Amino acid sequence: MTPPVLLLGALVAYPLLYNVSLAFRNYRTGEFVGVHNFARAFADPAFFASLRATAIYVTAALAVEIGLGLALALLVHRTIRSGWARTLIYLLFIVPMVTPPVAAGVIARLIYTPTYGVLNAVLRALGGAGDTLWLSRGDTAMFAVVSVDVWQWMPFVFLVCFAGLQSVPQDAVEAALVDGAGGWQLFRLIEFPYLSSLLLLVLIFRFTDTFRVFDHVLVLTGGGPGATTEFLSVYLYRIAFKFFNLSYAAALSLFVLIVASAAFAVLGRFLGREVAQ
Amino acid sequence: MRRRWWIWPVIAVLLVTSGALAAPGLPAKPAKLTMAVVAGGETKGLKAILPLWEKEMGVKIDLVEFPYPTLYEKLVTAFQANAPTFDLLIADDPWMPKFGSEGWLVPLDSTFGYRRDADIFPVVYDLGSWPPPRGPIPPGEAGKPRRLYAITLVGNVEFFMYRKDLVSAPRTWDDVVANARKVHDPRKPLYGFVIRGAKGNPVISEFTPVLLSFGARIFDNNWRVVLNSKQAVDALTFFAKTLKQYAPPGVENYDAAERAREVATGRAAQGFIWPAEITDIVENPSVSKVVGKMGYTLAPAGPGGKHAPLMGNWLLAIPKGSRNQRWAYEFILWATSARIQQPYALGGGIPFRKSVLMNAEMNKKFPFFRAMADSLNAPAEWRPRTQEWFAVEAILGTHVNAALAGLETPEEAITKAAREIESHMKEAGYYR
Repeated sequence: MTPPVLLLGALVAYPLLYNVSLAFRNYRTGEFVGVHNFARAFADPAFFASLRATAIYVTAALAVEIGLGLALALLVHRTIRSGWARTLIYLLFIVPMVTPPVAAGVIARLIYTPTYGVLNAVLRALGGAGDTLWLSRGDTAMFAVVSVDVWQWMPFVFLVCFAGLQSVPQDAVEAALVDGAGGWQLFRLIEFPYLSSLLLLVLIFRFTDTFRVFDHVLVLTGGGPGATTEFLSVYLYRIAFKFFNLSYAAALSLFVLIVASAAFAVLGRFLGREVAQ
Repeated sequence: MRRRWWIWPVIAVLLVTSGALAAPGLPAKPAKLTMAVVAGGETKGLKAILPLWEKEMGVKIDLVEFPYPTLYEKLVTAFQANAPTFDLLIADDPWMPKFGSEGWLVPLDSTFGYRRDADIFPVVYDLGSWPPPRGPIPPGEAGKPRRLYAITLVGNVEFFMYRKDLVSAPRTWDDVVANARKVHDPRKPLYGFVIRGAKGNPVISEFTPVLLSFGARIFDNNWRVVLNSKQAVDALTFFAKTLKQYAPPGVENYDAAERAREVATGRAAQGFIWPAEITDIVENPSVSKVVGKMGYTLAPAGPGGKHAPLMGNWLLAIPKGSRNQRWAYEFILWATSARIQQPYALGGGIPFRKSVLMNAEMNKKFPFFRAMADSLNAPAEWRPRTQEWFAVEAILGTHVNAALAGLETPEEAITKAAREIESHMKEAGYYR
């Protein structure tokens, strides 16, 4: 093996093996405790609450990001022909992606604050009550943290889909139109086959990202109110750096790794089939 | 006897070249002292006095600044390796149980013969002592000789603020409610009381003085959880229902910045406050509309008449790994001396000496000093002296926040928190 491979192996393997070792030990005494830390997770209601919150977050964020990103890509692809307008859209869509998640969280805090926040002010200006306590209720707090993810990463979906749409052969589109295909048929029968493998790729990236979301949530809600937005990563942080129970945190982090890897494997298999076709 | 006339020039030359003339009994001057500090307003006063120290003593001090959580990690890492990375540090007082029980700091009394000063509030010495002089002592620590490991540099303590142009100084929580009722008018908007209610440390800093003033406790003297009590439920009901009805909407997510903003913009009439928020925001004419309109007083008393201001001092200490311990001690003596506390305070520092906090001239300039003195002088209430405090705070902070948001009733929140804290303490080996 070449030295870079060895180095990379050491950098990845050592922390992973140390984490595995920690997960099977009592971090205070160092004694081997078998699967105790894993079994503990199954008797921990806070763990299941965080798992449930994570599932809601991942589902909502992925559905909105992929649905909206794809719809916008189609809209721009079909309606905007001007080169400079398209460039302007690219630039605008890159801004959220390069914004640090912590900064995005701080901005969102200013938007969602009920008294002097921008959102309620806009709602009042539009004639609404504008008195929603966005970060004080479980459902609206969940909406707020998902919205930040959507704002930051829907543009990624847009850019990938938009690039994919450029690869659809124009003659196939024209032939379909001549045959009387409508917008939906055009998408389903001509454009979608060109996008499906890209969408799977997007799904893999966004799933792993949303599953371990952390920064903006910590800034925006801190996992609250109560534990309603305490996602797995936030719960894991609490166990590791508030409770200092490094063994239990290691076991939970292995769980996250296993779930993310399994999802990656399943989606990767689909992707492989798509590419082969 | 033959006179050794040549000895005096030789001694003089040796002294001059060794640079040891700084003070009698001190080792040679080090090139510099390295000090780990938290990044933020807490070090404003320290930065103001450092040029004085360097001018007087001729020893440079390098400040290495870290954000709050990083500082703790860096210190623990350096201590575990017994590395000579830092000669001095400032530590948040809840870190003392960890640092004290691990024996990572140099005792100031038994090593250097530090003598207590009547000008310093006893609570300052209590905070820097290990094992703790009051309350429960962690398992295995009770038999250790009590030593003084640290002395306060930043006399942080939580007290109460109110709009003195609108209401009178509250002595009790009943007074606070009466004041709130008098001025509360969301249409203006003017809110009677602002709560720092965000999950975790923010809401616990706010709720603990209420909880303790109602006579509740989290632990008994054997670390058994006694939180699940009528007093605790009453305190949380008062906090999450009575006080909240006078608070701005959305306080479940308010941290210190939001609280200070509500007060500084004239939208809130009463609330808790820490000194740094006063100098940085509330009494800062460039950002505040209420300069000169605020009064400051001791944390209000509960039904039994008990005031429970929360301590949050930053303490100066010397790590055992330091190679310049004697000079580091000299700096501690100098920085905490009555002579230096005045320029320290004038430079934006938060002092802790009686002579400075009770000085009439200083009180004109810093109208909150008297409230600070009263708070430091009140029967000391501190966060339980255990390494597990951060876990306790995270558990209690989740449920108190849930109660504030209406997701749990006060009874549910207290019951769940007590159960989870007890389970955590068991796991941490405090009892079976």
